[in-house]
Amino acid sequence: MFGLPDITIIAVGGVVLAITAALVYWGLTFQGHD
Amino acid sequence: MADIITIIVVSLYFIAMLGIGVWASKKIKNTEDYLVAGRQLGFWVFILMMIGTVCSGMSLLGVAGLGYKAGWPTIWEQIFVPLAIGICIIFFGVKLHNVAKTSGYITVQDYLAHRYESPTALRTLSAVAGIIVSLIYLVGQYTAISMVLIWLFGIPLWLALVIATLVTMVYTAIGGLYAVAWASLVQSVTLIIGVLVMAPIIIWKAGGFTAVNEFIGTVNPNLVMPWNPTGAFAPPYVVSFAILLGLGLACAPHVINNVLTVKDVKYFKWSPLIAFVIYGIVIFLLKFAGFAGLAMVKGGEIAARTGVANPTDYVILDAIQNSLPNVTLWAIFAVIVLAAVMSTTDRLMLTIGAMFSWDIYKKVLKPDADDASVLLLSKIVVVLSAIGTMILAINPPEMLAILIWMGIGTMLATFAIPLLAGLYWRGATREGALASMTLGLLAALLFGFLNYFKVNAMGIDFAAIPLHFSAYAFIISLVAMIGVSLLTKKTAEKVLDETQTGWYISK
Repeated sequence: MFGLPDITIIAVGGVVLAITAALVYWGLTFQGHD
Repeated sequence: MADIITIIVVSLYFIAMLGIGVWASKKIKNTEDYLVAGRQLGFWVFILMMIGTVCSGMSLLGVAGLGYKAGWPTIWEQIFVPLAIGICIIFFGVKLHNVAKTSGYITVQDYLAHRYESPTALRTLSAVAGIIVSLIYLVGQYTAISMVLIWLFGIPLWLALVIATLVTMVYTAIGGLYAVAWASLVQSVTLIIGVLVMAPIIIWKAGGFTAVNEFIGTVNPNLVMPWNPTGAFAPPYVVSFAILLGLGLACAPHVINNVLTVKDVKYFKWSPLIAFVIYGIVIFLLKFAGFAGLAMVKGGEIAARTGVANPTDYVILDAIQNSLPNVTLWAIFAVIVLAAVMSTTDRLMLTIGAMFSWDIYKKVLKPDADDASVLLLSKIVVVLSAIGTMILAINPPEMLAILIWMGIGTMLATFAIPLLAGLYWRGATREGALASMTLGLLAALLFGFLNYFKVNAMGIDFAAIPLHFSAYAFIISLVAMIGVSLLTKKTAEKVLDETQTGWYISK
């Protein structure tokens, strides 16, 4: 896909998805206070 | 020399920045206004200032240059640099912001002095270390600014440096953080829109996303792999690189001090994701423009640079010149690069000013100094740091990215452990922090020197060590913190409670 080997798609795509999911989780759960 | 349109476009940009500086200077009433914008920054100004601070000269020139040189194995840079903003906000920002509101911190050194009960020793060490690493980083930024001015106007390096220094220095010195924040807003919006428009044109001109990948894969199959089989960007190096960029940039003084400037901690809820997505897209496009530049060079469309100290860093400039046959568009692109570089440069200079005038002068050397003299000294230090780094930037390094990573690596080894241990481990002591910071800084400078100058000593080839040099210094800093803290007197419980120390991000 995209002229790249599968390993590149899986490794890079997997890390990006994991980070995005973690930041979405942070946004949904963080309440914050002053 | 450049044509009249180029001169007008770039001059208008410089005038706009100076105008922001003059406007911001009217809002400055005291040192707190000057250094932390009165803690009144709003959501988008904060996000765009974070992006502008992290997005530096390397982001446009160095990132593309590295992509040109080493291909996809360097793509991790495009993931972990945007993530650094989130790491900074989540792991440092939330707690620091909450404690700073009640304790009135102006700089992160205020926090370290309070948490470790070290109003003189750790504060001074931390400020001096911060100034050293910021200067290393600043040299890389001025190199990038001067490259663009040389490319665009064909002027000598010294003149390019003088112009770049004067403009950035003036608006930062007179407007303080208000000027830096609002200039960053304009610069970041310019950068984001500019890259979203221009990078796809370069990629399209080189044949498109898939075609570029296929082509560079035929040049060298390793260029489309996620890592190299050995050496730089092999898997162990990638892991150390992730820590270097993700954590090192997050705890860099010019980045972490931004969390003290926001109005409301609730801004930290979605800002990590928004910054990651926006900046991730921008910096990925830049990296891919470097791949497109490689395809253009190997395909014979443009010639590889010769006769300059850092030829790979020029690839995006040559690619844009090839893809956009219109001098006005080059000028606009030059403004985008200048915006990216100046948004980091101004913040670095102000951080150096704060560390010297607030942490060293006001808090250590002359505690009875009045606010007006501290404010004046901040401005003088901003001017001196600009002039000093301009002189250092006259001889640029072979690759911009190398110098900037050295700066980030030194920040990682010096600040990450004392900050993380201070925020989360109640057993971390003053002596542990002093040992961790001192050994981390010295080890980073030593390993950085041995690695950069390819020294072969004690049977070790320092040019071919498997991890980024900063990882070794980081480990030394960690071991020093744990070992010394376990052997020394604990911090008072009252201070630990005041600084919200413990294994939580927010209660």
